[in-house]
Amino acid sequence: MRFRTLGTLGVSVILGTALLSGCSSSGGDTGKVTLEFWSWAPNTQKVVDAWNKANPDITVKYTDAGGGDDSSSKLLTASRAGNAPDLALVEYTTLPAMIVADVPADITSYTSDIKDAFTEGTWAQTTFDGAVYGIPQDVGPMSITYRQDIFQKFGIAVPKTWDDFKTAAEAVRTADPQAVIASIPPAEFGTFAGIAAQAGSKWWDVKDGKWTVGIADEKSLEVADYFQGLADAGLISTDPLLTPEYDKALNDGTMLSWPSALWAPGVLQSVTPDTAGSWAMAPLPQWTAGDTAVSYQGGSAVIVTKNSKHAEAAADFAKWYNASEEGVKMVLGTQNLYPAATAGQDLAKEQAPPALMPQQTDFYTQAAEISSNTTPVTWGPNVNLAKSVLTDALSKAITDKTPWRDAFIATQKAVIDDMTKNGFTVTNK
Amino acid sequence: MSLTSAPPTIASPPPGSRRSGIRRRSTRPRFAPYLFSAPAVLLYILFTLVPVVYTVWISFRAYRLQGSGIGGRRVDVFAGFDNYATVFSDSEMIAGFLRLLVYGLIAVPLTLGLALLFALLLDVPAARAKRFSRTAIFIPYAVPGIIAALMWGFMYLPSTSPFSYITRALGFGTIPFLESPGLFGSLANIAIWGGVGFNMIIIYTSLRSIPVELYESARLDGATETQMAFLIKIPLTRPALILTGVFSLIGALQLYAEPTTLKPLTSQITQTWAPLMTIYRDAFITDNLPAAAASSTVLALGTLAVSAVVLWLSSSRRKAGARS
Repeated sequence: MRFRTLGTLGVSVILGTALLSGCSSSGGDTGKVTLEFWSWAPNTQKVVDAWNKANPDITVKYTDAGGGDDSSSKLLTASRAGNAPDLALVEYTTLPAMIVADVPADITSYTSDIKDAFTEGTWAQTTFDGAVYGIPQDVGPMSITYRQDIFQKFGIAVPKTWDDFKTAAEAVRTADPQAVIASIPPAEFGTFAGIAAQAGSKWWDVKDGKWTVGIADEKSLEVADYFQGLADAGLISTDPLLTPEYDKALNDGTMLSWPSALWAPGVLQSVTPDTAGSWAMAPLPQWTAGDTAVSYQGGSAVIVTKNSKHAEAAADFAKWYNASEEGVKMVLGTQNLYPAATAGQDLAKEQAPPALMPQQTDFYTQAAEISSNTTPVTWGPNVNLAKSVLTDALSKAITDKTPWRDAFIATQKAVIDDMTKNGFTVTNK
Repeated sequence: MSLTSAPPTIASPPPGSRRSGIRRRSTRPRFAPYLFSAPAVLLYILFTLVPVVYTVWISFRAYRLQGSGIGGRRVDVFAGFDNYATVFSDSEMIAGFLRLLVYGLIAVPLTLGLALLFALLLDVPAARAKRFSRTAIFIPYAVPGIIAALMWGFMYLPSTSPFSYITRALGFGTIPFLESPGLFGSLANIAIWGGVGFNMIIIYTSLRSIPVELYESARLDGATETQMAFLIKIPLTRPALILTGVFSLIGALQLYAEPTTLKPLTSQITQTWAPLMTIYRDAFITDNLPAAAASSTVLALGTLAVSAVVLWLSSSRRKAGARS
């Protein structure tokens, strides 16, 4: 008897909750919608507040889901459980993994009117086989951030090609045996991928449902040989970045540059604020003199999930956020990100340079110039695996003094094996 | 059975008689044990058995692509022993277990040896400032593992290490704490530093429970403190030594916090350095929960087997010792 009462109570509680939640989700009937949004970018709440104020019918609820890696695994889990948020920020590198896990919705039909707000290279980061799965928010066109004062003191010219970079690295070593031009450690997958893409390598490519993997193509192997040459000659360090050790070298003036992307000044500013004013940004060195193309490192897009019951409203918010003038102004000014939209990059030209290089007044003009020359990159469905394998294999190659190119070959094999096992068709097995 | 046969005999006496009192007393104990153990059993089922069964179930599943290219979607399918085959054929996983073995061979004997040594020293009547020393040795155990690893990490990095600072000043150069062979010692050191105090307390408590009469008679027979330690104290603390030994062994197999915390500081520690790190990577970075579940099952069974072997060896040795 007592059990039956408890049972009935349980059922009524469950029914009650269902009714309640039914009420809240059926709010669409009255025209009012609430959208859940996961992100980790700084000051997202302020952007969301601005939207909510202007759009009382579509309320966005923001949750800080933690950085790129954390939130991508949370998003996958939530999506499999059927309770993913309506919108989420996703890194370009993990977007393909999200797509094959059925997380983002195909939003091609909602986005035809904003395609021209982005450069072709940027738009390609969220488009696969003609279908659009996200709206680009910020991008990381590759650049080099260097110690202008020390380069000048040693009489070293800013490297325009990777050959120049080697010459500069040698000059640094001669001028100050304690100093190195840069550290390129095994964990910097994004740097290797970006520099290989700049050389013309396509680490992943998909056409008519068939994948091609190029992590160990001729150009990538040349990139591996080039950096191994620098490391073997002691011209670059391979110690991890942003450790107490690395930060100390930055502050001592014995770590002189960071080949990465346009977001580097912000990161450096936080670990070495005392050296502000001694740095400058330049386009990433080229493989062929006179070329201007660079790739991307980092950056993210806003996706609408398949779980969302209000895909169109969600797409409207994502479009306003990343493609309207009001939105990109906040991406740039409030969030301090480099906007993916060209309008935002034009706006940036009016902006004061980053705190790390107040003297470089044309920073954002140069940035827009670099950004207009980016080449499209396609990431694959198992980028995280590739990153893990390449990092571990390169570490091992450095310890055992074996060729770096073997690490790239091993990664290519692991990536193809994993894709084949998962059921993907890979053309170059 | 007793419930169905009992009522006729019990029901016969009139209500209110002494027999009915007995009846109440006799049924209660039958029910009470279950009632009292119910919370523990329920919690055990909910939070231990169910997750274990779920993990084993997941380990036989896999996400596989249906459809082709970017239009295809990964779906949850039955995979048989695929994941287990991967665990045993993955050379990195095997290398991880070998690294764990080297680490365990350094960490476990040193933790136990030092804990026993400190406990014995504290138990010597001549020892001074016992309470202070005991607390001082125990305190590192109270420092959370991550904090301990971070702290040691700073002491290992060439530019922030006080040890390397001294050796450099003396002209010997930097100590390669985070380079290949030294890394094992550096990692084991963190575990030893944190674990000695805890194990020492267990052994010391066991030492204190040895009857004083034994010492008195030993002294009358002219035994020295060292002889007493080897002939009385160590044999009588055997159960405590076995307990701490099994704990330390399990702790070593679960190595995760120290290498993970030190990973950003050195390229020598890979993402698959220890088996648990590989499990974390599979589950939360490369989106391969089934593989992580399979490795977890293998690791759990391995831990169980190692513990059982250790317990069996120590009990069979004791039996052999008793016979001789």
